[in-house]
Amino acid sequence: MQPILKINLTTGETSEYVVPPEWERDYLGGASLAARLLYPALTRDLDPVSPDAPLLFLTGPLTGTAGPAVGRFVVCGKSPATGLWAESNCGGFWGPELRFCGYDGLWITGKAEEPVYLWLNGGRLEVRDAASVWGEDTYESQSIIKTEIGVPNAHVLTIGPAGENGVLFAGLFCDHGRTAGRTGLGAVAGSKNLKAIAVKGTKKPPLARPEAYMPLRGEANRALKADNIAQVTHDLGTAGVADYADYLGSMPKKYYHQATMENVDRVSGATMAETILKGVSACHACVIACGRVVDLGDGVRRKGPEYETVVGFGPNLLNDDLPAIVRLGEVCDRYGMDIISASNIVGLAFHLYEKGIVTDKDTGFPLRWGDVTGAEKLLHLMARREGIGNFMAGGARRFAARFGAEDEAVQVNGLEAAYHDPRGVSGMALVYATSPRGACHNKSDYFFVDWGQADASLGLQFYEKQAGAEKAANVARHQDWRTACDALVMCLFANISPEMTVGLVNAACGLDWAVDDMLRSGERAWNLKRAINNRMGLTRANDKLPKAFLEPYADGPVAGYVPPLEEMLAAYYSARGWDPVTGRPTREKLRALGLSDAASDIWS
Amino acid sequence: MFPIFPSPEWLQTLHDKLNSDERYAQIARKWEGDMVVIIEPSGHLAERLIYYLDLWHGKCRKVEVLKELSGLKPLFILTATYDNISRIMQGGLDPMQAMMTRKLQVKGSMAYMMRNVPTVLDFVRCCRDVTGEIL
Ligand code: SF4
Repeated sequence: MQPILKINLTTGETSEYVVPPEWERDYLGGASLAARLLYPALTRDLDPVSPDAPLLFLTGPLTGTAGPAVGRFVVCGKSPATGLWAESNCGGFWGPELRFCGYDGLWITGKAEEPVYLWLNGGRLEVRDAASVWGEDTYESQSIIKTEIGVPNAHVLTIGPAGENGVLFAGLFCDHGRTAGRTGLGAVAGSKNLKAIAVKGTKKPPLARPEAYMPLRGEANRALKADNIAQVTHDLGTAGVADYADYLGSMPKKYYHQATMENVDRVSGATMAETILKGVSACHACVIACGRVVDLGDGVRRKGPEYETVVGFGPNLLNDDLPAIVRLGEVCDRYGMDIISASNIVGLAFHLYEKGIVTDKDTGFPLRWGDVTGAEKLLHLMARREGIGNFMAGGARRFAARFGAEDEAVQVNGLEAAYHDPRGVSGMALVYATSPRGACHNKSDYFFVDWGQADASLGLQFYEKQAGAEKAANVARHQDWRTACDALVMCLFANISPEMTVGLVNAACGLDWAVDDMLRSGERAWNLKRAINNRMGLTRANDKLPKAFLEPYADGPVAGYVPPLEEMLAAYYSARGWDPVTGRPTREKLRALGLSDAASDIWS
Repeated sequence: MFPIFPSPEWLQTLHDKLNSDERYAQIARKWEGDMVVIIEPSGHLAERLIYYLDLWHGKCRKVEVLKELSGLKPLFILTATYDNISRIMQGGLDPMQAMMTRKLQVKGSMAYMMRNVPTVLDFVRCCRDVTGEIL
């Protein structure tokens, strides 16, 4: 692999870091390699918004190779929202362009005295004054920087005002609304006075066996293009699954307190395709093109919402106005806020208001379900940290705690839940409870497995949507596979066969792996992230679900059901080889995975 | 005893089932469109089979065994190998699992498909209900 460029923003020093070959092999790249590299730095005492905190941008061995949905990168560090492991991956073109510069990653520490942005032009790095863009939104910032550097086809990754203001769910944004949204790493960049990073390069990413890779790449892209999930995602966007999620009872409404909603089909991907859709957009070389381009009748081409945005600003708020959802999504994107977290916290505010816990005195205006104007006001307040928004900017857990109602927040360990209800797809109970970054739906998108994406070649079985402990080992296996995909960094929608994925990895990295080797690599990184979190204070008690998920719906397709979390967790620890009392990976397990250092640290 | 799957007699039995099943009539009452099922050779099936079904408002207006598609543009074309489709018909493979793991390919309006998943699933139930012996 290519070196990683290390940059200390305090001193301005730079150096090239070469990854040891055994780590390159064992961790491949992306979030897995980042966990290995950051392991020594991520301690309990580290303040995530201090100059010492690292911010590591890494690509994977397939990034920029025009393989199947692999134009992605990841950013990792310590989350200011959770105090735990942070990772967030992102599409667009920025990751490939970074590799075209001759680097596979950027490793940033320190803090600039004044706001700066970085301009990596091929191998040449410039640290530039960001006075002209500080305070600008994420779209303006990209456009101003491209003009300033005079390279219109450079790619710019930037934070918005939310990141500058230390909003704990601020992300990093590039291209047309592509985001590294989760875990608040935009706030970490903001704390370093780092507004943006522009990249432009011309080098080809290295491939160990190009003659083997190229035909496989063609075959994989053709297979992906013909795939059913890819077809749905291309035609309808990721919100294409909204109708099915609603049918199964896995799409929450009214801040996870209502199972059904009249006219819910007005906000589906199918409705979008039939009404406001004007085009599609894609990350680098992706044959799926899940991005939506919509027109609300004002002639402006806007980013259309993905599933999480549709639900977060739609049914979550009992809103069935699709254009309003588009607008609220754009407000978040421009401020640079993660939409899942922001919409979740808005939903929480509505919920607390309905319960009389939050009142007009706190907000200055009423909050009524379905009121998109109130929702938009809250988004402005939280991004600017004004009024009640200042509490909301700390995330759902802190916001609810401020009003003595921490239990009402639908979050795990400080990360707001995504919109896949474990009462509809029980595998998500374990996913939310054990993900290294909180209530996240991407470290295993197990809702897809519960819907039917149970690939036999991964050793996955297809269980009933509301099965309990019997699916624990399946969840663990799927987490391992997705962790390996996150190392590549491959999009979750790349529904090609696991064998084909491994073939691409072998050709790109010069390996001779089978699917089990990939799973093992994923398992290693999953355990390492767990050990990192254990070192930072995570215990067995952190593996939990918010109250809302443990209360049954009164009606709807999954009425009366709650996932049996404790039984599922017991089976999960056993499947993982983790200590059932402490929830830590056992010493033996860590050693078997080549993680002796972590074994000594967490068991000393 | 049901006719062997796949066979023209089985297709006719399915036609009759779809026209007499109250649950299907209710769930599929808004469905408007025809469908072609292509069964690719594998296992005991040596030649490709093409089945045509015209489905309309909870009823089946017509079924036909085709030799080729010859310009026909149905709302959906479903394609699977004989082995995989037999597993679906016998209940060993969930139809959504088949669609999501590359075992059953769907071509057509995805918007229509996603809006009508309950109809599709109930159609499969009817198919299973008339499937006993397989080739
Ligand atoms: S499927 Fe969508 S998010 Fe994934 S790589 Fe393709 S365009 Fe990007």
